[in-house]
Amino acid sequence: MIQILIQGLLLSGLYALIAVGFTLIFSVGRILNLAYGAYLMLGGYMYFWISQSMGMPKLFGVVIAVAFGVALGILKYQLIVKTLRGDHVAVEISTLILAVVLQAGVVLVFGDSSKILLPIIPGVVYIAGVPVTYNILAATLASWVILGGLYLFIKNTHTGRAMQAVSMDTKGAAISGIVPDHINMITWAISGGLGALGGVFFASYTQLAPSMWVAPLIISVAVVIVGGIGSIIGTLIVAHVVGFMEVSVVSLLSPELRGVFTMLLIILVLVMRPQGLFGREEL
Amino acid sequence: MGLRWYHFAAWGAFILGLMALPELVSKGALRTIIFANYLAIFAISWDLLSGRTGYISFGHPFLIGIGAYTSAILTKRFGVDVEMAIPIAVVVTMLGGLVVLLPALRIKGSYFALVTLAFMELMYQLVQVIRPDLTGGTRGMSGIQTLTRGAVNGFYLSSVLMVIVAIAAWLLMRTRLGTALTAVGLNESAVEGSGLSTTKLKMVAFLASAFVAGLGGAFYVHYLGSIAPRALFDINFVFTIIVAVLIGGASTIIGPIIGAFFLTFLLEYLRPWLPGAERYFIYGGIALLLYMYQPKGIYYMLQSGWARLKGSTS
Repeated sequence: MIQILIQGLLLSGLYALIAVGFTLIFSVGRILNLAYGAYLMLGGYMYFWISQSMGMPKLFGVVIAVAFGVALGILKYQLIVKTLRGDHVAVEISTLILAVVLQAGVVLVFGDSSKILLPIIPGVVYIAGVPVTYNILAATLASWVILGGLYLFIKNTHTGRAMQAVSMDTKGAAISGIVPDHINMITWAISGGLGALGGVFFASYTQLAPSMWVAPLIISVAVVIVGGIGSIIGTLIVAHVVGFMEVSVVSLLSPELRGVFTMLLIILVLVMRPQGLFGREEL
Repeated sequence: MGLRWYHFAAWGAFILGLMALPELVSKGALRTIIFANYLAIFAISWDLLSGRTGYISFGHPFLIGIGAYTSAILTKRFGVDVEMAIPIAVVVTMLGGLVVLLPALRIKGSYFALVTLAFMELMYQLVQVIRPDLTGGTRGMSGIQTLTRGAVNGFYLSSVLMVIVAIAAWLLMRTRLGTALTAVGLNESAVEGSGLSTTKLKMVAFLASAFVAGLGGAFYVHYLGSIAPRALFDINFVFTIIVAVLIGGASTIIGPIIGAFFLTFLLEYLRPWLPGAERYFIYGGIALLLYMYQPKGIYYMLQSGWARLKGSTS
């Protein structure tokens, strides 16, 4: 029981970190970024390349991975989202194509086989008799710090409030003197950075593989759908629901059923309450 | 329906051209065309649902998979004749289409795309866990009865199937029903305002799409002779179907066919240079550029090019 509690808490923290970047784009830009999983993958691979292939310090690897994610986010906004402005279906489909292209690009550079990422912080600690790696502990703590920081950023800074404004009504925000274009770009940059950071932790939790982007994308989708758009608190809560559900299913029922209940939750929530559990009353 | 002589001429020429192909091209090219034919069937199925009504489905393999698995399980595990198994598979797939219809009654746009993606992933995971003795679990099934032997027979079967599906879909879209379906994609509330039941229209679109998907899936599995969950319920497969429709031209019948042939041959011609998964890098890159350049697709480019050639005002 205590094992489920601890593992659930740790996994949920990781999931929250993964999902928050996706939520951000979906809330502010109203765009389903299907290439979000690819940011995670690229972040993970970038970290792998810098810290394990080149032998540079790990922290430097993380920083470069995040910077790479930020650059990707900006590039994608400038090259694809702005070009296809307004056509949501076209943007979504081109993000899907982009994700497949990026996956193939990773295969091209790093090969098809999966790679084991050394833990960012090695070591194991026993909490109430349950072994917990420092690695996932760091991911969880980082996730809490980042989510808290993001919440404060959105509530208290000018840029953050401008993001909220754009998310509510782009035209209204533009009239109040906000440049939605800049805000969108900043959002894509933050989302890219968060995705890459989440990817580093996610990859060290599982492993690096060119097809690793699908699973975190599905998790992000689940968290955003169930939590409802435009709600960081909702993201945090639902990440815990999903995380605890997965851990309970794995240890109580069967490891193979891991994702089944997450999918059922998505379908159920979308059919019963399409705006999500914590989202706004609009669609 | 407003059929004209040149419609018959165009379809006739298309069918004659297809039937003459085995005399003209090599066996290897024929095998490629078989895959293109099946991809065209799946693309038409996707287009019936998503291209027309605007309900983008990211989980079309869910439907194709139901058709393929039902027919495969019936023939292999229960010894049902293929002639019986395929119609049953189609009916079961149409029931699956009704399941997908449920969320579409309440949600639209990105949310609908997401729920179909969830359906696909759910199916992927369930197939491996529920009754692996029937579905073959993670490894899938092999040694499924095949309908044809050799490239030429397979080519004729898949071509006939594709042409029937294409003409049926084309005729359906020329009826008033087809017009109403396209109108749902343009403005759903306006259709409702005209006194038509959008629920019924959507049901028709979903059932027609599921019918084609089930038919294509069942015949496909009896062509391949094997089935595996990761090859079927795969986001790359969705990608190929959607891109085939969009590159060819959504809301047309010939568009998805053009797109399917273009993509399959592009992938095949890249093989000598890039043998592995790297092909998808070039392939996806070309798809992305083409799509960004003209989201309406190749068919539209051809049409506007023809119009310019004729010198009519654009």
